[in-house]
Amino acid sequence: MKRQIPLALVIILCFLFVGHTFIPHKISDNFYQWWLSWVRTMTSFAVVLGVMSLFTVHWGKISRRMPNWQYSIVTLGALVFTSASGFIWGTQQGTPYMWLFKNVQMPMSSTMFSLLAFYIASAAYKAFRARSPEATVLLVSAIIVMIAQVPIGMAISKWIPEISNWILNVPNLAAKRGVALGVGLGGTAVSLKIMLGIERTYLGSGD
Amino acid sequence: MLENISNLVAAFLTLSIFSFLWKDNPFYRFAEHLLVGVSMGYAIPLVYKNVFIPFLYTPIFLQRQYALIFPAILGTFFIFRFNRKLAWLSRYPIVFSMGIIGMGVPLSMHASVLVQMRSAMLPIMDINSFIIFIGTITILLYFFFSKSHEGVYGKFTKIGIWYMMIGFGASFGYTVMARLSLLIGRIQFLVHDFLKLI
Amino acid sequence: MNFFEKLQALDRRWIYLLVALAITIPLVVVFDSKTYTTTPTENIYQLIDSYAGRDDRAIMIDFLHDASTMSELFPMEVAILRHAFQRKVKVFTICFLETAAPLVDYAINTVKEEFPDIQSGVDYINIGYKPGALYLPIVLGMGDDISEAVKTDAEGRQLANLPMMEKIKNYNEMNLVIETSGSGFGASWFVYARPRFGVNVAAGITAVMAADAYPYIQTGQLVGILAGLKGAAEYEKLVDLFAIHDKPFSREIARTTHVSITDDTVPYKFKAARIGMNAQTVVHILIILFIVIGNIGYFIERRRNKELN
Repeated sequence: MKRQIPLALVIILCFLFVGHTFIPHKISDNFYQWWLSWVRTMTSFAVVLGVMSLFTVHWGKISRRMPNWQYSIVTLGALVFTSASGFIWGTQQGTPYMWLFKNVQMPMSSTMFSLLAFYIASAAYKAFRARSPEATVLLVSAIIVMIAQVPIGMAISKWIPEISNWILNVPNLAAKRGVALGVGLGGTAVSLKIMLGIERTYLGSGD
Repeated sequence: MLENISNLVAAFLTLSIFSFLWKDNPFYRFAEHLLVGVSMGYAIPLVYKNVFIPFLYTPIFLQRQYALIFPAILGTFFIFRFNRKLAWLSRYPIVFSMGIIGMGVPLSMHASVLVQMRSAMLPIMDINSFIIFIGTITILLYFFFSKSHEGVYGKFTKIGIWYMMIGFGASFGYTVMARLSLLIGRIQFLVHDFLKLI
Repeated sequence: MNFFEKLQALDRRWIYLLVALAITIPLVVVFDSKTYTTTPTENIYQLIDSYAGRDDRAIMIDFLHDASTMSELFPMEVAILRHAFQRKVKVFTICFLETAAPLVDYAINTVKEEFPDIQSGVDYINIGYKPGALYLPIVLGMGDDISEAVKTDAEGRQLANLPMMEKIKNYNEMNLVIETSGSGFGASWFVYARPRFGVNVAAGITAVMAADAYPYIQTGQLVGILAGLKGAAEYEKLVDLFAIHDKPFSREIARTTHVSITDDTVPYKFKAARIGMNAQTVVHILIILFIVIGNIGYFIERRRNKELN
């Protein structure tokens, strides 16, 4: 019963939503509004899940004095301090909370991603090899698109941006359409499997 | 004054993360752990202000919509995810929000499949639309795994592979560009906002 | 160890250093380079510009990204807002990620500094952060009534009471949504809002996603895209070329006229993407050289191995 009732709930709700999509009636709209108010109330607690998970991991590291446990103090300290500053001084512009976001979270998160530029440059040098005709086509297509995106592409020849546009609008479009159709049908199939109770992994393990 | 201090802090943390390129070091680890803590800490007051207050506290306690106590209790079941014996209770808030999939099936079928198919079925007017037509068909054939890719059929699927290689090449070229753009943005911050070289 | 073997075994940190230099030098020594505009960018510009001066038309920018992809997307948002503020196009801004909320404020404030007459509630409305769980209800709800779907703006004011809402009710008036996204290209809008309400959808996307968006441009599900830093640079140029002089858009002029970025008449923040594209040029050449040199080394080594065997 611990699995069957949630499963039945998903199936019933999914079919009600299919009905809601096709039947613009007041009853179906009322159902949607009711569902919405319930979901909104529930999601208030979703963030607790993330905080608890983070606390469990880092508190465990600190209490067991695991290697590098000192850094876990930084994580938990930052978590407590940032959220406390939001509750104490508010979340508007000009508050310490917003200062922390703009000068700590924002620069670090964008820098973390920018490291990928170095890795992709290193990979370009050490890994991108024309080992087969297919790989050669991939590399040539990539180089044309890369050079056409920057001003020097047009400066070299007006044909470079033209060829790049052709690649993007013709063979690339066909390739991406084929893939999109595959993904679209696959996604619909997965949704249908959930609706019909065949796909159940979201229920997690256990009975 | 405050702007200078702010830029100094942001620049120090930026360089701390860049220091990882040399090798793993305490500055990088400090910045990495700080980022995780600040990011999560940042979300809590915002969710409290924008979700908890308007959708739970106000309707139940101020507008007296007591029926919402039920979803509120269901919401607390999320927490049982961490308890092996009671984990099954956490399924309820999850499945309740999953119902929307029912709406997604017809609408995404329309946007991702039917509209794309309609465009793929337009009359072939020029060489480019012919090339697109062949490409779409051969790629769909390639993804049909119930038949082995041999003989004439295999030749068709091979054409599909070539199309995909061109498409992946275009994506790859764009990906290189995107990653470099992110780094350009950070270096712009260092040379323009922090060092004020330009 | 011969020259090519040495080159193959080059320490990755030398590569990192070269990349850093290839980006830093062009950013410090700014030079003029030509930005060529493309159809997907021009289409977005043209549609926004067609709403100029009308109080019964508006656009919406949905900030669907956090700071990690800001380098590519922020210049686009600034350029679109500058266009809208200059040409008196009504703008809504919204976000469904909590980490995007400060970015919306940041973008608006960055542009507003140059437009002291622009007023919140009159010329633009920042709806601000709405929880992700409300994404779909808001996307669909705005088809009937925007004020009812989002209720309040970022400052807590009732939308229905704001002057900008006098002639704007739903997607019939707010007829273009531009999603600036680090992970998709406006899918929720063209899957849910476009088939039902016919709203136009455009996407400002990181270059990673750009090639994937082309089938959706061809079908008309997307009006156009701004693809990465290049897309932002193109839009910056169009604003400098037409909007700032209150001139109508012309594709021919856009493609043949060059706008200088080395003079000081345009503030840095409004040409950041074009300056960034200078660095992009140099570093792309470097990457292509890396690929070529790496492959030459690979083929020499492969031939030698064959000869030895």
